[in-house]
Amino acid sequence: MRLLFVALFSFFLSVPAGFQSAFPVRFQIKNAGITVEGHFSESSFDVQFNPKDLSNSYLRGKVLPSSINTGIGLRDKHLQGRQYFQSASYPEVQMHSKRIRSLGKNQYEGVFEIQIKDFRQDKTISFSAIPKGKGYEFEAKFSINRLDFGIGEKSLVLGDEVVVEIKLRKE
Amino acid sequence: MGKNKLVQLPLWTWILAILPLLAFGVGKGKWGNFSVQFIQEIPRIWTDLAMKNWELPNSNPEFSAQPVSEEFYYSLPERVIFKTYPVYHPDYEPDGYWEWLHEQEAEIVFDPKNLKTEEDWIRAGELLFDYPIDTLGAVIGTEHVRDRDFYRDTQMPLTSEGVMPFAKWVVAGKGKVYLGNLSCGMCHTRVMEDGSLLKGAQGNWPGDKAFAYALEKDGASEKAIQNVTGFLFSSPFVAGDPHGKLIASGKDSLVAAYRAVPEGAFGRQGTSILYPPQAPNLIGVKDRKYLDHGGLGQHRNIEDMMRYIAMNQALDFLNFYGDYNPLGLTKERLYSGQPIIFPGTYDRHSDEQLLAIAKYVYSLTPPENPNKLSTLSEKGKIIFAQQGCVTCHTPPLFTNNQLTPADGFEIPEEHYGKYDIFDISVGTDPGYTLNTRRGTGYYKIPSLLGLWYRGPFLHDASLAKLEDLFDPARLRGDYVPTGFKPHTVKTRAVKGHEFGMDLGKEDKEALIAYLKTL
Repeated sequence: MRLLFVALFSFFLSVPAGFQSAFPVRFQIKNAGITVEGHFSESSFDVQFNPKDLSNSYLRGKVLPSSINTGIGLRDKHLQGRQYFQSASYPEVQMHSKRIRSLGKNQYEGVFEIQIKDFRQDKTISFSAIPKGKGYEFEAKFSINRLDFGIGEKSLVLGDEVVVEIKLRKE
Repeated sequence: MGKNKLVQLPLWTWILAILPLLAFGVGKGKWGNFSVQFIQEIPRIWTDLAMKNWELPNSNPEFSAQPVSEEFYYSLPERVIFKTYPVYHPDYEPDGYWEWLHEQEAEIVFDPKNLKTEEDWIRAGELLFDYPIDTLGAVIGTEHVRDRDFYRDTQMPLTSEGVMPFAKWVVAGKGKVYLGNLSCGMCHTRVMEDGSLLKGAQGNWPGDKAFAYALEKDGASEKAIQNVTGFLFSSPFVAGDPHGKLIASGKDSLVAAYRAVPEGAFGRQGTSILYPPQAPNLIGVKDRKYLDHGGLGQHRNIEDMMRYIAMNQALDFLNFYGDYNPLGLTKERLYSGQPIIFPGTYDRHSDEQLLAIAKYVYSLTPPENPNKLSTLSEKGKIIFAQQGCVTCHTPPLFTNNQLTPADGFEIPEEHYGKYDIFDISVGTDPGYTLNTRRGTGYYKIPSLLGLWYRGPFLHDASLAKLEDLFDPARLRGDYVPTGFKPHTVKTRAVKGHEFGMDLGKEDKEALIAYLKTL
C-alpha cells in the first residue's frame, strides 16, 4: 500500500515539461554597479519529488539561451552569440539533481550538475519545497561564476557572479 | 655615510644608480662635464613584414589594400619642413601681411638633431601636425582663401583673430608663398564657439564644401571633377559600384555631393562622399586599439600610429586593390623609378617626423569640461548603466575597443582569433565599411569621451546633436537628418544604434547631461 501511494504521488509530479510560472528562471548580474535583471522565457522541467523517497526523487530543468531577456534586444542577441551562450551550437542550458537530502521542514539540499555549453559543474544548492495543493512550490536561489562556464570574458564592468533564482510550481 | 659603507652597498643599488646613464647616455652639458641625454630610438615603420598584416582586410578580402614596398617607400625623398604662417580672412589680415610674407626667407624648422628631450619631440610633433604636405592646391588654393566669398559660401569657422586654421602659408623661399593643404590639423582642429582652437578634436573644417567651392570657382570641367572624384573614392570592385554611378552622374551632381558633406566630416581619400566619415577625435587616441572608423589600422603600439599617419597622408593612393589602383597606375609604372606627381605621393615623412607627430598626438589631453557633475548627470549615469551602454562604451575609456560588424558583413571565422570583435551589429548605415576602399566590414566602437566638444555624431556624421540620437523620429523615412544627408534625398531615416529611444523626456535629459560630462 505504501509503495502504491509513493508510485501514484510520483506520477502526479512527473508531469511533462510545462511552465507553472511565467518565467521560472530569473537571474541578476552586476553591470557597472547596477543590478541587471533578466529571465529566460522558455524553460522546461521534469520533476519527480517525494520527500519520503528522496533517493528516487529528481529535479531536472532546461532553459533555452535563445529566450534570454534582459530588456534590451540587442544585448540579448549578443548574449546568445559565440562570446556568451553560443545558442546556435548549444541550444540548451541544463541542470539536474544528482542527489537530494532533507535539511528540515520543507528545506532541502541537492547536488546539481549544471551544464552550459561544454562546461559542467556540480553545485550544492539549497532549495525549499513547500506543499501546495497536490504539488509543491520549489524555490532556490544560488550563484554561479559565469567565467566557469565560458560565458563572456573577464570584464571591468560586468560582474563574474550571476545570481540565479528559480521559482517553480509543480502539481 | 662613510666610504666603507658605500662600498658595502649591494650591487643592485649601484645598478639602479647608473641605470639612467645606461638608458639615456652620457655627454657634456650644463652639469659640469656630464649631463643626461635623451636617446630616442627611431623605429623603421614601413617594412614589408610589418605592412603585411597591419591593416585589416577589406570587407571583400580579394580587394584588400596592397601597400607599396619597403624599398619603394624608403626611396621617396623625405619632406623638408618649412616654417608656416597663419591664413587670415581678408577682413582680419594685418596691414602689409601679404607683402611681408613675400619678403620672408625659407626657414627649415624640423631637425631631429635638435630634439633633446621628450618635450622637444612633442613640440616638433605639433609643428608637423600642422604642417601641410601639399602645396599644389590639393583642396583649395591661394586665390580661394584670399576671396571673401570663399568664407561666406563655405561658412568657414574662424578663430577670434580671424584666422582660418585649416590651411597654412608655406614660405619655401623669398617670394615663394604657397597655400598648404593636407596637414593633420586640417581635419583634426576644431574652432570652438569662443573662437579658440582645440587641436586634435573632431575638426570642423568644411573641407568638402570648400572643395566644391574651389571646383566651381575654378571652372573645373566635368571630366576633371570626375577624374579627381575617381582618384579619391572609386572602388569599382564593390558590388553595384556606387562611386562609379556617382561619377557618371555628372558635374552638377558631383558638386552637390561634395557640398552635402557637413563640417565635422570629410571625404578623405579611400572613403566616400556618399558615406562620409566623421572626422575622428584624436584626443585620447593613444588608448584606441584600432584606427579609422572601420578599424582599418591596428593600433598596438606607437609604430602602428606612425604607419597610419604615413598611410593616411596619401600613400594609400598608391595602394593596389586587386589589380585596381585609384590613380590608374600599373605596378610596372609604380615601380618604374619615375616619380608620381600627385599630392602626398612623391615624398614622405621621415621616420623621425612620424615619430614626432605620433608623440604629439599621444600627448593630447582634453580641455577642462564646462559640464560639471550634477544631480541630473548622476541620474544619467545610472541610466547609462541600466540601458546597457556600458557594455560597449565601457568606462574608463568609454569604449570596449572592439569592432562591431555592419549589417551585411559575415565575420570570417579566423577574425575571432585575430581581432577584438563584438559580434553583433548595431544596425548603423553599412555603406562606409562595405562600399569603400577603406571598408573592413566593421565599425570601431567609438569612445564617448569628449562628446561635449564634438559633433556631428555617428560614423557618417548624420546627426548634429546628441539629442537627435535619442529621437525616435530619426528612424522614419520622412526624417530630415540634422547632419549629413546624401545630396540625392530630402529625407532619410537614420537607422541603427537604437538605444535609449524609449526613455522618457526627463531620463533622456539626464542621460545626455551625463554624456556631456565625459
